[in-house]
Amino acid sequence: MITTPPYLQPGDLIGIVCPAGYMAKEKVAECIRVLEEEWGYRVRIGKTVGSASETYFSGTAEERLTDLQEMMDDPEVKTILCGRGGYGMTHLVDQLNFKKFRKQPKWIVGYSDITLLHTHLYSNYYISSLHAPMAGAFNDAGYINRYVQSLRQALEGKWARYTAEAHELNRTGEAVAELVGGNLALLAHGIGTDSELKTRGRILFIEDIGEYLYNVDRMMYQLKRAGKLKNLAGLIIGGFSDMKDTERPFGEDVYTIIDNIVKEYDYPVCYDFPVSHTERNYALKIGVGYKLKVTKSKVTLEE
Amino acid sequence: MNRKNFLQSAAVLAAATGFPATGKAFNTGDRHRPVRIPPYLKKGDLIGITSPAGYLKAEDIQSAVAGLKEWGYETRIGDTIGRRDYSFGGTDEERLADFQRMLDDPSVKAILCARGGYGAVRIIDRLDWKAFHKHPKWIIGFSDITVFHSHLNRVIDVASIHSKMCSGFPEDWSKAEPIQVDTILSLKKAIEGEQMKYEFAAAEGNRPGVAEGILVGGNLRTLETLTGSASDIHTEGKILFVEDVGEYLYSIDRMFWNLDRSGKLAKLKGLVVGGFRVKPPSDPEEEFGRTIQQIVLEKTGKYKFPVCFDFPVGHQKNNFALKCGVRHRLEVKDGLCSLTEIR
Repeated sequence: MITTPPYLQPGDLIGIVCPAGYMAKEKVAECIRVLEEEWGYRVRIGKTVGSASETYFSGTAEERLTDLQEMMDDPEVKTILCGRGGYGMTHLVDQLNFKKFRKQPKWIVGYSDITLLHTHLYSNYYISSLHAPMAGAFNDAGYINRYVQSLRQALEGKWARYTAEAHELNRTGEAVAELVGGNLALLAHGIGTDSELKTRGRILFIEDIGEYLYNVDRMMYQLKRAGKLKNLAGLIIGGFSDMKDTERPFGEDVYTIIDNIVKEYDYPVCYDFPVSHTERNYALKIGVGYKLKVTKSKVTLEE
Repeated sequence: MNRKNFLQSAAVLAAATGFPATGKAFNTGDRHRPVRIPPYLKKGDLIGITSPAGYLKAEDIQSAVAGLKEWGYETRIGDTIGRRDYSFGGTDEERLADFQRMLDDPSVKAILCARGGYGAVRIIDRLDWKAFHKHPKWIIGFSDITVFHSHLNRVIDVASIHSKMCSGFPEDWSKAEPIQVDTILSLKKAIEGEQMKYEFAAAEGNRPGVAEGILVGGNLRTLETLTGSASDIHTEGKILFVEDVGEYLYSIDRMFWNLDRSGKLAKLKGLVVGGFRVKPPSDPEEEFGRTIQQIVLEKTGKYKFPVCFDFPVGHQKNNFALKCGVRHRLEVKDGLCSLTEIR
């Protein structure tokens, strides 16, 4: 059985850290306000948030490691919300000590680069975490949208039921299984390491941003050749935003590329599900059982 | 920053980060099977030219055809040359069939891949290597062709040649830059069985030492995307060379982490870093702030093997032929460094 961390109670403490890229303090301000004033939690800001770092990263590897480790180990902190992704989790993941965290699991919230931590937690410790909007998504009234609200509901322990529109490439069917996934580039990057994703018998979701089409094709081939696609219960293709093409065009759009690679399998597949680098990004619990139902008219994903 | 200071700061970086040697043992335990060396070429031999990946026009290979003829070889132009399916040199089926014919035909003594691009991984699992096993031949190319080098290393146990391809041949030898002539002649030496020996200047960040082992490697991004697949490169006890082009520094950093975390650095004998022409960040605020040297030394700091930078291999003019799967001796010293084929 998957371990699901306790859901939050009013007044619980949420720690915010930036384990990867740098984030200015003012970009987290609205998130803090909403968490405290509207959602009723307390917030602790890690040293990596709005740090004095002048590099791409929010701090050195040790600073980022220490900040995340302290949040993981402090029993006061009930949830860890990542400020943003970027790049850098791969520096930390082998150094993290999960001893205390396993005894007192808490929700780790994030996506994009944070995918590596989700996969690491799931594959090694079988602990659930939240693939969901991060601090930046609260800005510009973003916290009102249903996607950031889905994070609130997830933290409160409300069971999720999401619907999405039908897509012409969808393959109908039903699957009930544990949900795993995240950012395609990070899932591919984790293959062959201690953070390798397990997909057999599960529902897999993937999303990505800013990749060349040929590179999406290559990563999908990597997943396929590494045996990650053949024994799925179902496949959820999220948003692939800001795709780039080469001078000589690839000749297919990103969903057709994926369709060509997975069409030999007979599990249900849906496209353009609202999990992505745009605001359309529902909170999804890694490792938790979901029912995916793809019909001709719509898609539902229900915990 | 002078070299001494740089080395010190790199060592500090490695020590401060304190990353232990954690690479998972995915990449160990393979048998060290003997690698077979295909027969070297003789005058009059037939070289097949095919495009297993990207598209190119028929006229783009004319310099190569003329050059090979000048060296005394016959050429066979595969059906994929001049064929096009968007970015590919024909559909998967066409590229597969063309490559398969070249593998199977005993009169073809070497296969020169016309260019890289992208696409080899789409056909590699469908190739039949039976005839090739009986009559191994040189497969030549780089960039996306790294898929073949890695697959030959991991599964087939046959040596191959990492080198410039058709567009590397000069149109007019009398007007070509010396570096272009030298690099293309290095391919000639490789296919004709000369002992390969490269001497190159010491570069900033080099870690001195001497190593002997089978040479493997190629394009770093291609190697990363083969991780976990049947073609995943095996590096234990070997000398690894890597190069790349057009990647962001953060992405190169991530790829070196993948090499380490998938256990490919822990038991290396030596690391040869070729050209890395990086792409500047799309947002200037996102400056990565580390050099290739720092990125590499951070991951290799906990190991002892020699490391050298700026080896003349990559997506650049000075891209010399290397025999993958063949034993080499790497000497990294303060003065002149060398990479020499062991006979």
